[in-house]
Amino acid sequence: MRTNLIQSYVNGTPIAQQYNSDKAVKDFDVHKELANRTFIKPLPSNGKLLKPSLFDMPSVVANDLIYDWNAFRHAVKGEANDHELGRLNDVGMKVGGLAIASYLFTKKQTPMTKAFEFIGLASFFGAMDLWPKLFLQLPAYLVHGFNIRQKYEDNYGRKKLVFQDHQFIPWDLYSDKEINKIGDRLRVPKDIPNRREFIQEKMRKIALQNNTMWMLTAGFATPIMSALICNALEKPVASYLDRKNNEKAERLLTNFPQEISKFDFSKEEAALKTFLAENEGKSITPELVDNIHAHLSDGIDYVTATGIRKDLDDLLPVGKYRFSNETLNAVRDVLKESFAGVQLTEEELAKILPDNNAMLRAFTDNGLMRSEAKEFSEHSKLVQNLVFDNIERFVEENPGNPNARRLRFIMNQMVHSNVHGEDSKLVKAFKFEPVSVLTKELSENLGNISKILNDFKAKNLVLDRYAYIKVAQAPETILANSWNEISESLLKVMNFTPEEIRQARYDREIAGEVLRNKLEGITADKASYSKFVTEMEKLLSTLQSKAAALDVSSDESSLYSSLVNKSTFDESAKALRNAHMENTAESLVGYGFTSRTSLKDVQLSFVADRLKGVKSSFYRILNMADMYYKIAHVEGLDSVLTNTMPREVKEEVVELAKETLLEGHTSDFAVKFYQKRNPNPDKFDCSQIESVAGKVKNKYFGTHQSSELMELSNDSGFFESVMKLMYENNLHPDTYEKIKSSVILEDFMNYRKNVLDFLGCDSYYPKPAHLVNGKVVDSSSELKFLLMGCSPDEMFLKLFRQKSNSNKWFKTFGRLGAGLIGVTLLSQFFIGHMKKPQPSKEVK
Amino acid sequence: MILPIRNFSEKNLSFQSKPNKGEEANVAYDKDTLLENTFANRTRIGLDKLTKAFTIYPAKGLKGSKNSNFYEFLTMGNVPYIIGSVTLMSIFNSVNSDFFPDAKSKASKLGNKMAMGVILYCVFKELAKSFITLPVKWKTGIDTELPYAKVNYLLQESPDDYNLTSIEYHKVGESVDFPRWDQLYGDPKKGEKLNFRYDKIAEKNGLGKDLNDSDQEVKPMYKEVLVKSKLAKSFTSFMWAATGVALAFQKPWENYFNVATLKFWKPKEFGHSLKVLGKSFVDSIKELYKGSPDSFSKLERHSGKALIGASVLVTLLGILNTLHITKKPSNVKGSDVMDKNKESVVS
Repeated sequence: MRTNLIQSYVNGTPIAQQYNSDKAVKDFDVHKELANRTFIKPLPSNGKLLKPSLFDMPSVVANDLIYDWNAFRHAVKGEANDHELGRLNDVGMKVGGLAIASYLFTKKQTPMTKAFEFIGLASFFGAMDLWPKLFLQLPAYLVHGFNIRQKYEDNYGRKKLVFQDHQFIPWDLYSDKEINKIGDRLRVPKDIPNRREFIQEKMRKIALQNNTMWMLTAGFATPIMSALICNALEKPVASYLDRKNNEKAERLLTNFPQEISKFDFSKEEAALKTFLAENEGKSITPELVDNIHAHLSDGIDYVTATGIRKDLDDLLPVGKYRFSNETLNAVRDVLKESFAGVQLTEEELAKILPDNNAMLRAFTDNGLMRSEAKEFSEHSKLVQNLVFDNIERFVEENPGNPNARRLRFIMNQMVHSNVHGEDSKLVKAFKFEPVSVLTKELSENLGNISKILNDFKAKNLVLDRYAYIKVAQAPETILANSWNEISESLLKVMNFTPEEIRQARYDREIAGEVLRNKLEGITADKASYSKFVTEMEKLLSTLQSKAAALDVSSDESSLYSSLVNKSTFDESAKALRNAHMENTAESLVGYGFTSRTSLKDVQLSFVADRLKGVKSSFYRILNMADMYYKIAHVEGLDSVLTNTMPREVKEEVVELAKETLLEGHTSDFAVKFYQKRNPNPDKFDCSQIESVAGKVKNKYFGTHQSSELMELSNDSGFFESVMKLMYENNLHPDTYEKIKSSVILEDFMNYRKNVLDFLGCDSYYPKPAHLVNGKVVDSSSELKFLLMGCSPDEMFLKLFRQKSNSNKWFKTFGRLGAGLIGVTLLSQFFIGHMKKPQPSKEVK
Repeated sequence: MILPIRNFSEKNLSFQSKPNKGEEANVAYDKDTLLENTFANRTRIGLDKLTKAFTIYPAKGLKGSKNSNFYEFLTMGNVPYIIGSVTLMSIFNSVNSDFFPDAKSKASKLGNKMAMGVILYCVFKELAKSFITLPVKWKTGIDTELPYAKVNYLLQESPDDYNLTSIEYHKVGESVDFPRWDQLYGDPKKGEKLNFRYDKIAEKNGLGKDLNDSDQEVKPMYKEVLVKSKLAKSFTSFMWAATGVALAFQKPWENYFNVATLKFWKPKEFGHSLKVLGKSFVDSIKELYKGSPDSFSKLERHSGKALIGASVLVTLLGILNTLHITKKPSNVKGSDVMDKNKESVVS
């Protein structure tokens, strides 16, 4: 500890007397000096201003952590000081924040939402720190020339803000040179008295005003800034997580053997083994088969589990029972149990219950006597009749017996019980001694089957996980991310104004109209269209590349396809067939490996269908843009809008095609479209349509009252023309030029052809002739639904709503934030004003 | 350096508020005064600080007053705390009304929970401090939150300044480096024993009665309790605040949000809303502890338990550490130190 000279002096100088330094100045008389009170002043400070560079940050952080740890140790012992306790309060706040983020992390389901719990926390603390640095400290430095949040380290290594307490500012840490430099920057005249004091006062004032501004603005700024930081980080984080997720999914397949080995079924296998060992040599009962089935089908889907049950029923025949004295004893036990509630003596009971011989005789008389039997309802009835007769006889012989009524009641209850047939106790008693037994060979075979099924389950779980990450209908899958990315980019590339977005959010009618106007505007201008198609091609190519790993068109088309087909389903099915589990194998791969209703097909088509639905939605927009472009420039339409087609019909075809691509659903195709048309168009005007600014300049369409129009269900060519205009007609050369070398070309052209075939050639009984090229093609509702995808007006309605919501938020809080920044920055020019003292006049 | 007071005006200068004509000087405190730690006092102090934090202190700060001090700066810390809470609630709620029903419903669900989270954060944070303060006071007799009014003498900023005092509300143990020991002494003029507060603490902690200098015996112990309780409060308050936020994010609150109303002039609806508030609170605690019935992961099911457990553990450790006083003076009597009957050699 340093010697405190003042303390020594005040306390009567005993310590000072011991003061004897080798470094003392020659002739320095400490007593004389201490006696001179005006000389007394504090020892020079060991404190220093802190000016760490960016490179010092790691060591600063490390030192702060060490300081906090020591502060904690001191506080636990009750020896910490105010500064240490203040630091620990900040640590507590951060620990609490981490606790909140960690708890909410566990409540969230997806990586993105989980990550944002911590990003939100970090951004909040970051904003708390950044706001004063960026919007007070920096501008103040630029305007006034000094750091209002300058930190210093005192004698004890405590870091504090210089201007934290305005009545105790450690001015001695600033040299005269530094203060004068700041004074020059503050334009303080050089020739004033007490210049340093004046500069210090000005600095104090500026710092105080800034600190006050900090307190007044931080409450608004921190949450808003934090929200904006999170918003800005959303895309990069999403993109990073998408990449990581994709890599994770790919690793599942590339390391397939290692991944499946992570699933450990040894416990389940051991449990089955123990169970089989316990029951080895015992009769095969339905309960035993139920138990074995429960072991084998745990975690298996219902269809396959049913297949397993069928196979087990064949492997473990149940149903035939031996007929022996033990069986009859069991039957008698059940009967005894039934009459347990009646107070009967042994003799009386013997009269009522038929003995084994009586029963055997009765079975023989009625032709029911066999050494083995499968079904016992007749036996049960016969026994009941015997008992009934015995009771009647007993009652006749003992008319005064108090149990008579009770016996009859129990008998009636037994006969009329609602548990009949195989479930009745009596019938179960007959099934006392099954014929078949669980042999060692059977046990071994079942153990082998369990291994095959567990291997299959492990493989299937890995494949399921892969399919889930890639294409599941859930947030943050690779496909969902692609959907969001493409649809948001479309909104951006189509350049909707905030006003259009605000208007379009109300319903799909308005959204469709806004979208149509925008698309007509884009297609009217060749440059805009070129940019639009280029962007779409880029987005769809990315999707196509991502989807390549999911191609399931053939066994070898992708790693996923190969692993599903060969390594998992076919291999397991083969092994199961060798183990005589034919039904189970069939439910996995279908009859002869070809059925479309197998579990394998579900595994493959789940992925293929999800992809098809998403791709169709975007291909539909590209196709729509191409058709709108052709119409806007009246190019490439002649094969459909021929010179023999009346102009009015052409206008009707074009309008319907435009509307159908924009908002059509599969039902519109199924009914072969419905449009009210003019039944008497001008047949002599077969001129081509005209377009202005992307819109058709209708000469006839829309000129008739609705009451004059009707649906012409006999015009079988109308549907075909509309379909061909939408899907059969060649792409416009400008569109083709942009995608001709793209990876999507073939897929896109196939899509157009499939829609034309499957939606255009669907037979509709009220309009049987309304077919494209006269063909009838069978298809499923599911396929038609997937080919249609999402209608653009509905897709954009959702996007408009989302965008409108974010716009509204940004408008409100962006303005508030901008206003706050403006006020805070401008305030620098209004603070620190002081009346300048007059320069000192030279005294003559 | 002490500068001369250039504008000294003997006529106007006083260190008290100027009495109105015909009125006796009515000053709340004429010197630093210890206050009782009662609910009424705490409320009065809280309101005084809150009002000044939003009015006088920012005005002084923005003017760059030479009388602005660290106390005012710290008191102004309430401003960002309150405005920040409101802004945070507003960020998640204020624009939701403009959304369409589906988006509005989803956004409001989150927004309402967020707002409830902000409220419960503050409530639990403040409540948690008493989890430490009360047992410590009960066991040791040391009130770590004991307030006193400090009379502050100001510098004259203009010739018109005549009221040169201001009242600040501090706590005796606010600074562990410089606790206001003087405030704990009794006033003999009022018939109080000088050390009566120290005596009580000494007796409560088993140091004995009628000590000659109980203040000297108690001070090290008092300081230790202050430090340890501050450490405990720092962690306990934020852990419970986190628990409050977690509680706000439970599903049962949605029942309350559906019927929540502040229209107290409609007693039936308001009463029902309060009833549902109570039920939602209890159900939320249960759900936080047991985990949501919809949760499918073990982590999700048990994380609430873990958070509550951690908060309870931190609180208990904090209390135990504070009550484990190491700086108690030894009870060994002087006579017992050395056995006079035994011979000893002193070198």
